[in-house]
Amino acid sequence: MENHEHLEHTESPKDMKKKIWVTFWILTALTVVDIGLYFMLIENHSMWKNVLFILLGLVKAYYIVSIFMHMKFEAKWLVNFIIYPMLFVGFLIALMLIESEFTAAIR
Amino acid sequence: MSHTTALTTEKKNTWGGGKSPFSISYGKLMMWIFLLSDAFTFSSLLVAYGFVRHTYPSPVANEIVKPLSHVHENFTEHMQEVGYFTTDKWPLPELVFNHFPFIHGIHLPLFFVSLMTFILIFSSVTMVLAVEAGHRMAKKEVAMYMVLTILGGAAFLGCQAWEWTTFITEGARLDHNPFGPMAFAALFFIVTGFHGFHVFSGVVINVIIYLNVLAGTYEKRGHYEMVEKVGLYWHFVDLVWVFVFTFFYLI
Repeated sequence: MENHEHLEHTESPKDMKKKIWVTFWILTALTVVDIGLYFMLIENHSMWKNVLFILLGLVKAYYIVSIFMHMKFEAKWLVNFIIYPMLFVGFLIALMLIESEFTAAIR
Repeated sequence: MSHTTALTTEKKNTWGGGKSPFSISYGKLMMWIFLLSDAFTFSSLLVAYGFVRHTYPSPVANEIVKPLSHVHENFTEHMQEVGYFTTDKWPLPELVFNHFPFIHGIHLPLFFVSLMTFILIFSSVTMVLAVEAGHRMAKKEVAMYMVLTILGGAAFLGCQAWEWTTFITEGARLDHNPFGPMAFAALFFIVTGFHGFHVFSGVVINVIIYLNVLAGTYEKRGHYEMVEKVGLYWHFVDLVWVFVFTFFYLI
């Protein structure tokens, strides 16, 4: 516990507050863009539309994790330790999408 | 001179002992590990949704109901008759989630769920402001922001209760779905229910932390790290909602 303060924040409270509000507006803007795109592309059913929405979701996730959850300022080891295991999810998505094509084909 | 040498040895041996390689306290590290495992759970649920969704043909493009227009008295039955809601096609989210409290008979697609998203984003902001105030040991500010966060969480839960009530009133059950394939309603209840339960737990934990802040527990302890830990959990709940929103309502 003694080195607790030593490890924490180096940025001033004012900077942090500014960062928080900037992140808030980015997240709000991205959500508005999401909804706007949904109605613009409502008649489109291609895979790239889904990819576009997932990418926008990942951008929002980046801002939440890096600023709100303070990940951007943590030690490199911790970042790798949390982020790399999530790559397995990508593997699962790839497997399940291939498998669902098959399920749809035999239905 | 000796000071410099000490620093370099420390830098070289990240895993050499004497300090945390993650430069983080035990409690926060454990919270991160818990959140990682929880992220896997939610990923599995959303991948399951993607799997089922991908086995069905794409929804029929909506050409008959425009936003803000008046809708048919028996909207669901009408949509079944005109072939928009069939058990062999995935329904268009826009046509399923088009209600708004106190406004009846008007097509308001995704308006309510967007409101829920903004509520959750805002409660995330108040949470991170509480964490920031905690670093300055500003007890009153922490307490104020914690109250706002709790209110945000409660508002979100209320919205979700309303959303579920509407969905159930229209005939959706775990084993029945008037809008399309049965799995659509089942997955909706399971995933938003699991997320809603996380929000509920978050609100309960936030209330406990808030009472501790008022009692001066963290002021005596000398740091507001507990607020940071519950903050991590709260932001994670917001993070999950980003993906629930993307998969259930946008795709």
